[in-house]
Parts: sequence; structure tokens; C-alpha cells
Amino acid sequence: MNALPSSVPAPALLGMRGVCKRFDNVVALADVALDVHRGEVHAICGENGAGKSTLMKILSGVQAPDQGEIHIDGQPARIDSLARAQAMGIVMIHQELNLVPHLTVAENIWLGREPRRGWFVDRERQRDGARACLARLGADIDPDLLVTTLPIAQRQLVEIAKALSLQARLLIMDEPTSSLGEADAARLLQVVRELRREGVAILYISHRLDELGAIADRVTVLRDGHHIATRRWADTSIDEIVSLMVGRELDQQFPPATRRPGADLLLRVRGLHRRGVFGPLDFELRRGEILGFAGLIGAGRTETARALFGADPVDGGEIALGERLLRIRCPRDAIEAGLAYVSEDRKAHGLAVAMSVAHNITMANLAALTRGPGVIDAARERQTAERFIEQLQIRTPSPDQIARLLSGGNQQKVVIAKWLFRQARVIVFDEPTRGIDVGARYALYALMDQLAAQGVGVVLISSDLPEIFGLTDRIAVFRQGRIAGVLDTRGSSQQDVMRLASVGPASLSLAPDAAPDTGSP
Amino acid sequence: MNERQKDLLQKFAALAGLLLLVLVFSLTSGAFFSVGNAMTVSLQVTTIVYLGLGATLVILTGGIDLSVGSVLALSGVVAGLLVKQGLPVAPAMAAGIVVGGLCGAVNGLCVTRLRLPPFIATLGMMLVARGLALQLTDARAISGLGEAFGVLGNGALWRIEEIDAQGFPNVIFPGIPYPVLLMAALALVVGLLLRRTMLGRHLHAVGSNTEAARLSGVNVSRVAMFAYVCSGALAGLAGCVLMSRLVTAQPNEGVMYELDAIAAAVIGGTSLSGGVGSVSGTVIGAFVIGILRNGLNMNGVSAFSQQIIIGLVILVTVWIDQLRNRR
Repeated sequence: MNALPSSVPAPALLGMRGVCKRFDNVVALADVALDVHRGEVHAICGENGAGKSTLMKILSGVQAPDQGEIHIDGQPARIDSLARAQAMGIVMIHQELNLVPHLTVAENIWLGREPRRGWFVDRERQRDGARACLARLGADIDPDLLVTTLPIAQRQLVEIAKALSLQARLLIMDEPTSSLGEADAARLLQVVRELRREGVAILYISHRLDELGAIADRVTVLRDGHHIATRRWADTSIDEIVSLMVGRELDQQFPPATRRPGADLLLRVRGLHRRGVFGPLDFELRRGEILGFAGLIGAGRTETARALFGADPVDGGEIALGERLLRIRCPRDAIEAGLAYVSEDRKAHGLAVAMSVAHNITMANLAALTRGPGVIDAARERQTAERFIEQLQIRTPSPDQIARLLSGGNQQKVVIAKWLFRQARVIVFDEPTRGIDVGARYALYALMDQLAAQGVGVVLISSDLPEIFGLTDRIAVFRQGRIAGVLDTRGSSQQDVMRLASVGPASLSLAPDAAPDTGSP
Repeated sequence: MNERQKDLLQKFAALAGLLLLVLVFSLTSGAFFSVGNAMTVSLQVTTIVYLGLGATLVILTGGIDLSVGSVLALSGVVAGLLVKQGLPVAPAMAAGIVVGGLCGAVNGLCVTRLRLPPFIATLGMMLVARGLALQLTDARAISGLGEAFGVLGNGALWRIEEIDAQGFPNVIFPGIPYPVLLMAALALVVGLLLRRTMLGRHLHAVGSNTEAARLSGVNVSRVAMFAYVCSGALAGLAGCVLMSRLVTAQPNEGVMYELDAIAAAVIGGTSLSGGVGSVSGTVIGAFVIGILRNGLNMNGVSAFSQQIIIGLVILVTVWIDQLRNRR
């Protein structure tokens, strides 16, 4: 599959062969090969969870590969720490920038390697060095400013200047434009081109396929930890890349759908927006329906769900449940109206891990178990917990077990039980199967279908396309905080979703529709 | 060993440590193991328990209250001044407790509304309340408060006396001092509150995972507010009882008592990161401190050495707690 251009002189700056990495039983990378040359912008594409981050972590010395060889300038190299990677000229710029907000630009650039005069920091040299690096980027930033006063786009440039000060030869950029506006993104791409001209190699990770066209020389596609293909950008098309990224059949088992979505609207959202985060967006959820929220990480799906639930503030919009217009200012309002949110990060937002299974299950509806002045009826609480443990088949030695000690799937079920006990009418599941093994997934899928069959409206946020296709009735595809389109699950393909999510409807019409429909169910 | 057994072990370890202390001091000092000394120790421990119960509530939510020593002084002084103004003792003391509760409310508002870190909010109150107490009294103790003012602190239930041949009273049983009865009643009430009620559950939930509690519909601000108001009111009560024992209102009373309260909670297994703690643990912790002081005194250990020993006890118990939680 490797289509190496013969015009590039060997050896490559970076060569990887047969690199493998697994975490417990999950294969993150399997036999991955990659070459990067001087003065090349090499794009890495793949769905969420395809193995991009693991690859980058291995290259930047954060994690060690289980197997495989890495060559730098043709010589075998061991990148066993961040410092080693930097010494070899490999520098990574993270999506969430790693700058210390309350130090100045110059101090950040030299952090940990401060030029010294005797016992003291040589501030003069520090400032001049920083200025020189910034000048190379054509960035007009005062090195004495505190980083916290800079806008995101300028912070990004400071990170790049820091990389230059490290004599970077291979720069790894993870979604560098994800938080930038159009103009700033264009300027950043210009900087990338400039660096390429100076001979720096750049590994560029981005979900925005349209922007890759402006800079990428070659592109490597990963899927499920496997190296799928490397192509010269000139020889490929966005449609081909999308097919290569998806390319997966519905290999997971999904329970047969027992639900029959009604015609009446359960939830109606109009013009919901939060400035700079998402929206305005409109969508509807019917009774007994499972609506998928697809899209790339950072497209605003979780933010929308949290806003709907009152967990984050909104700047405007209308939410109606049935006939009733809701006024949601905090999660309590949402819960009382009948909404529930099963959060993406169980341990941070969903579960009180130090409390027992029973106490977690009853947490959102304790008032239903009290008698007298707020006294909890211990016997009824126990019965309730046992009922849900039985119903959802939560594997726990007893209702008194501390929630932290349960497996991920069972923790998830505890959170779901909490909302079932609350008799929620609309439940939003945010990446419910993340970190959950395959067997437990099936049970969760069946549960979602059952809930819908009982008339609950279900929203499923998932980055796993087969899951979206195996489970939903309709799919709202998010892109950069907006709903780029709503598709009927039947009659749409994974490519349709991927294209809406990564290119958007506008560019869609420009792209030649020549992709083979390999992924449709 | 499951989590429950580990918790039991932790609690049992604290209790066992307490019994060990009693045993050691009984052997080293003849006067230690007696009904009279037991009452003395209990009486000395009451203040730590009142404040410790408040500290437990606040620390459970993930906060801290450094102001209780000063609030204690302010409340006692207010009660004393009102009595001097001619108010009967009961309403005067009630007013003192209300003042304590108000101080707690201010702490709570600073934490929930102004979003100040609890450490800072209550540090401010610590200085303000102490300053007010000194200001109100010109830094002088108020004495001559009358016999009724001393009843709460010095009275006892079931005191049995006998008048001997010479006409002097001979104490057969010293009785159970009112402050000790009050301590037992409060421990029971707060214990039930924490274990049995919705509010108690919410206190745990907020400290265990504030965000999860909020997303489950718990009114996090109100729960935190409750904890701070209780802590303040309990400090107010402690102030009234303490001043009553002295039959003097002392604006300088209670300096550094907040640290005893926090130490009692922590020795009793309350986690400073919130979510874990119990009334029984705090009471045991308070008695560990009280018995250490009393026993070391009886063995002629200097006050300075006592500080060193109690400091080390705190370090060791928290270290053991850390070991238990590390996995």
C-alpha cells in the first residue's frame, strides 16, 4: 500500500516499522509503518480512536511501543522520554496548549532550559532568543507579555516558537486549527508552509479534510490501530480518504429493534445557542425514537447536551417537552422536567465514586424514598437498589459496594439506573460505551432500545459510526458547533455522515461524488 | 477484605488506639482511672466535640472552617454582654448561638456566592469575629454575670451529695455535667442526620463529587450553606457553654480551637478532600486528643511536649488513612 515518492532522497527523517501498542486488551496500534521526510507536511487521518494519539505519544516519547522499530535519519533510535524526543528534534504541539498562563511569553519558550548567568536567569538572552524565534514565524508578539493575556491564536504561535527554540526538525501538530477562526487558521497554515520551506518535517493531524488540501504533501490513514494507506495528496481525493477512514462494516452485534418510534414530538429544540461554543441549532426528538448525534470530537455534541440539561449556561433558544415550554437554568430544572443526561466522563460527572451503589442509584430521586422530615426509608432504599441491580443485571456483590470498585460497564449501568428510578422521559447518552467491553455493550444497546420501546426519547452521542448506524433511527451530524444535516439512518451510509462531519454541506457539492459505497449497512 | 470491612477496621483502629491510651495512662497514673477523672475528661472534650461536629459537616462537603475559635469567643461575649444589659440568661445565650449561625452564614455566602476558597473565606471570618469580640469588650473579660449564667456549664444531672457530720457536703456521685449530656445529644442528632436523612446524603454527595451531585439535581449551594451555618451555630453554642463554665465572658477564649476541631475530625477518619467522615469517628478523635492531654498532664509531661505528641499523632493517623486509600 505504501506509495513512496521515488523523488525523495533516502533516508527519511523518521521511519517507523511494525510499531505495536496495546492497553490491557485493547489494541491501540497494530503493525504501523510511517515515513516522514524533511520539508514534508504529512497528514494523519482517522476516526476518533483510530490510533492517532497513541502514535503521536510514542513519537514524542510519552509512551513506549510494545514492538517495532523507529529510525531517525536511518539510524535506529529509542525514544524513551520527552527529553530524548526533544534532543532528537521531535516536538509535539498539543491540541490543548501546554503553556503556563502566568509566565511571560519568553519565560514559557525557555521554561526548563532558561539561559543562565551565574545563579540567575539571563533575562536579556531569554528575551532576545524568544524574539528571534517569534520573528522566524513572522509573529509580532511582545516576549514580555503574560501568556494569559494572549488570544488562542497567538498562544499557538508561542508554542510553535517554543518548538523552534528546541531546534525542532519534526513538528507534530495535533488539531492545531480546531480552536481558531478562519483568518487565524489561514495564517497558521501559512506558518506551516514557511516551516516546510525551511526543511522542517511536519506531522499534521486534523479532522478538517478540506484544510489538509491546502498544505499536505502526503496523507496516512489509520483505522482501528492499523495502517490503512499512505497516499500522495495529489493522487487522492477527499472521498477516497473518507472511504479509507470509515471502511468498516457493521461488525458489532446489535440487538434487533423492538421500539416503534411514534409520530408525536417529545422534545423540540429551536435556536439553542451558546456564543462561541455551539449553535444556533434546531432539532426534534420523537417519542420512542433514538436520535444519534454524530460528528467529530469538538463539534459541539457534548456541549449541546450539557446545555440542554442545564449543566452549562446558554445564550438563548427554546426547549419544549411535549406541549410544555421548559425553563431550564440548572440541572435540577431539567431533572424535574423529565430530562436526564448520562455523561461522557462517568467518574468526573456521573458517579460519586466513594459512595455505594445504592446511594448512587437513589441520588437523583431521594425525595421519593423519604418519610417524615427528610428521613430516608433505609429498607425501601435497599429494595429500590436491589430492583435496579436485578433489572439491569449490575454485577456487584451488594448494594453497599463502593461504586469505584465496579467495572466500567457496571458503573455505567448504575448511572443509568439513577435516571430510570427518576423516570426520565428523555435520556441523553453521551459516549455510553466508551471503555466498556463488548459483552456489556450489547446489554446497554438492548437497554436503550427497551427504553425507547417504553416511549422514552433517547439521544445517543457517539463517535463510533457503526454504533450510530446499528442503533439509531435518525442521525444529526454536528460540524463546528452546528448541525450540518439530519439523516435518516436507513438509506444513509457511513460516508454520508463522515463527509457531513468533516467537510460540511458546502464543500460536499464541490467534491466529485465518485466514492464507492463500501460502508453502507 | 472489602471496603466495608476496611472501614470497620479503620474505625476499630481508632477506637483501639483510644482504649490503648486509657490502658497506658491507667497503669502510669493512679488517679487517671476514676469516675471523677472520666467526668473531667468528658467535660474538657465537650468543646472539641461541639466544634468537631461542625467541622465534620463542613469537611464532608469538601470545605474547611477556620473561624470557629473566634466565632466561639464572639458568641460567648455577646451572650455575656446581653446578660449584663439585663436580659435573662436563656435568651441571651440563644442570641449568642444565633450570632454564631450568622457568622457561619456569612462564611457560606462567601464560599457559595462569591466563590471564595473556604480556607480564605473562613480565615477572614476568623480575624473579623475575633476583632469584633475584642472591640465589643475593649479586650477585657466580663465578670459578675451571676449564678444563673454558670448553670449550663457547671450544673450536673443526678449529682448525689451527703452532708457529713461536720455539715460539709460529701460528693458520692458527681453527676453527669450538662455539657456532657448536650454533647451526647448533639452527637446523636448529627449522627442521625448524616446517616439517615436526605440532607446527610446530599452532604456526602457534594463532597464526594460536586459535579455529579449537581448533575443529579442536588442544590449544592444550599447544602454547603447548611454545613457552614451549622458549624457557626455549634461554635456559638460552644462559646456559651465555655463562658458559662468560667462564669466569665472572655474575648480571648478559643484561640486555635479550630485546629483541635479539625484534628478531631481528621483523626476520626474524615477525609479533607470531602465525602468521607462520620460522627462516631470525630467523637473518638476528640476523646483521643482529650485523653492524651489529660493523661500526659497527670504524668507530668510539659505542655510543650504535649503539643509535639499530639502533632505526631495527627501525622501518623492521617498517614495510616492515606495508606488505606492508596491502591
